[in-house]
Amino acid sequence: MSQSLRPYLSCVRSTLTAALSLSNFASQAAERHNVPEIEAASSPELLLNPLTVSRNAEERVLVEPSVNSVRVSIRIKQADEIEHILVHKFTRFLTQRAEAFFILRRKAVPGYDISFLITNLHTEEMLKHKLVDFIIEFMEEVDKEISEMKLFLNARARFVAESFLTPFD
Amino acid sequence: MADFNWRTLNIDALDPESAYNFDLTTLTPEVQPVSSSDVQTLSGQVRQILRGGNAEAALRGALENAPYGADEQGKAMHLSVVTEVLGQIRQAEMTPLLQRMYKDDGGSELCDTLMKYLYKGMGQGHPSSASGSKNLTPQATGFSQVGGRNFGGGEGGGQAMSVFLSWHEKLVEMVGPGSIVRVMSDRRTV
Amino acid sequence: MAAPQVHHLFHAPVADHSFSADRQTLAVARDTSISLYTRPSPTSPTFTPTASLRGHDKTITGVDIAPRSGRIVTCSQDRNAYVWEASPTGEWKPTLVLLRINRAATGVRWSPSEAKFAVGSGARIIAVCYFEADNDWWVSKHVKKPLRSTVTAIAWHPNSVLLAAGSTDGHARVFSAFIKGTDARPEASVWGERLPFGTVCGEYLNPTAGWVHDVAFSPSGNALAYCAHDSTVTVVYPSAPDQPPSAIISIPTQLLPFTSILWSSETEILAAGYDCGVYRFSGPEWRLSGTLDTVAAAGGGGEQREESALNMFRNMDLKGRSGGGGSGGDDTRLKTVHQNSISTLRAYEGGDGEEVTRISTGGVDGRVVVWTL
Repeated sequence: MSQSLRPYLSCVRSTLTAALSLSNFASQAAERHNVPEIEAASSPELLLNPLTVSRNAEERVLVEPSVNSVRVSIRIKQADEIEHILVHKFTRFLTQRAEAFFILRRKAVPGYDISFLITNLHTEEMLKHKLVDFIIEFMEEVDKEISEMKLFLNARARFVAESFLTPFD
Repeated sequence: MADFNWRTLNIDALDPESAYNFDLTTLTPEVQPVSSSDVQTLSGQVRQILRGGNAEAALRGALENAPYGADEQGKAMHLSVVTEVLGQIRQAEMTPLLQRMYKDDGGSELCDTLMKYLYKGMGQGHPSSASGSKNLTPQATGFSQVGGRNFGGGEGGGQAMSVFLSWHEKLVEMVGPGSIVRVMSDRRTV
Repeated sequence: MAAPQVHHLFHAPVADHSFSADRQTLAVARDTSISLYTRPSPTSPTFTPTASLRGHDKTITGVDIAPRSGRIVTCSQDRNAYVWEASPTGEWKPTLVLLRINRAATGVRWSPSEAKFAVGSGARIIAVCYFEADNDWWVSKHVKKPLRSTVTAIAWHPNSVLLAAGSTDGHARVFSAFIKGTDARPEASVWGERLPFGTVCGEYLNPTAGWVHDVAFSPSGNALAYCAHDSTVTVVYPSAPDQPPSAIISIPTQLLPFTSILWSSETEILAAGYDCGVYRFSGPEWRLSGTLDTVAAAGGGGEQREESALNMFRNMDLKGRSGGGGSGGDDTRLKTVHQNSISTLRAYEGGDGEEVTRISTGGVDGRVVVWTL
């Protein structure tokens, strides 16, 4: 575990706690509508400055707050091509089940691997500090999962190659 | 007339009364334009103070005179100066320095400006390397994994980021989430 | 300091709440209807639900009970407002209000004289409504001019003519809402004299421009306080009409933003917000002086330690969590009384010129809590 992981995660935690101050806000552009303003982007004064927290060029989190919704986009570390494929498959698995996830966004923001959309409905039903805990845990776990998957992949590939090539000896 | 697709017209953008055309300059009333040469002189002064050994004064000077009104180049220049100053200050000195700065008159504004620079510094260096890896041929895929996962990231970029992250941690301990909220809502960006 | 009285009404956000003048009835905005709760007996500490006022299609954003006449005004995101009057049979009859706005209404407050009320809306309009007896409805006059974005908060000056409004365009403004025929001519004040409807008596913006969440006049009406999304509380002391104010004191806080603000006396302001607690600011230099939660948290500490071992094993069994210490294992309960942000802060005992001794807060967690200061 690198020494800069802990400050990185605490920085993301404090940024998210600050950004999750959401309130129920009806749309100014369409009557009787209540939309996440960060997605609709209909009025510039309702959007706040986006903040980036980055550990290095490969791992960063973009937090885009607004009056009733926050979009959190995470770029996961992908050192080589095989990790790129694994991350792609992993995030696809999650995003295809985005409805059950509640806070997950189906498409990641361009330049990032996975995005969450948290609206005032979510902060009303769920505890804010637990939502933040979840995202931090997710960030910690995803790195571990990807390395694990890669190890298993290598092990399988080695085994398959061995058993395939042995008869030709 | 039939060639033009009227449905792609953004009617809100053309309506001066609509919420889409909210004038954001009404939210930043006090920003005065600052020329690039002014920013350069300021950077030079700050670097001099830094070379003189007084990192705290250099940091204060840089933060008090943050060029909100400069153009992109000017702002980037000032950011590099602030990064330099931050990198020079040792871990042990960070907390006492921040405490002194916060206790002063107008200290919380200085801390807010520092927070803005930390986020701007972390926001730089958008990874263009992301698209490069997709061009590898299938052959190269199998062999490139030998390198393994590189914890800690690239050399130069990673260093600067860990400086920002450690400053951020110390600063949040002192000023709390209120400062982060102010960075988000303040339209005068550094 | 007595412990706060917690009324956990339901598991939905309480957008706004209001007590009747005798504090026996509580009206709570519950999504698209108003739930009325009364005490079974005047000394009973709990409330029981009695009636439900249905009429709105979308979330109700504001409810206010007029202290003397007992009328309830409600406004909602469906662009409507109703004034409910209790009929002799106990039924509540709604009266139509012609708001003429085409976006959601965000909040409503009776004026101190109870002859009119003001509704803020997302249509960038404040509708000041008064009763027109010939047609038996409430008609409105609009304040439009300098408002550039949704009006989030409104507050009346004690003279029932001046109205303060906070908006998401970052400004807190003071308007005159003088309606000929309904209002008596007000005396001259620091905000101005001879004010026709709609004049702007003052417009204030923080340099760190955050959306204004709540505004409040001081008990005498000579100062204005507002809290904004940039985690600051600003107090404005006007000097004379058309002159720059004699002082604007802005207090940046280390806490998350406040959503509601109340003057308990000329020298103390209470604010509550996303930190789920009530904080006090004491003047005249205006410094954060404390919170109302400390008593509650301290009281719970002792019992928590005994139960933590039990909780730890329970968590291991139920949730597969390995505990990791007393508070680490079960941190789903916040240490504050409210478990989610507080949305409104109102005076319970006091107000109207006297010092406020008890306040009530309504939160997103569905609780209404009465605090003693």
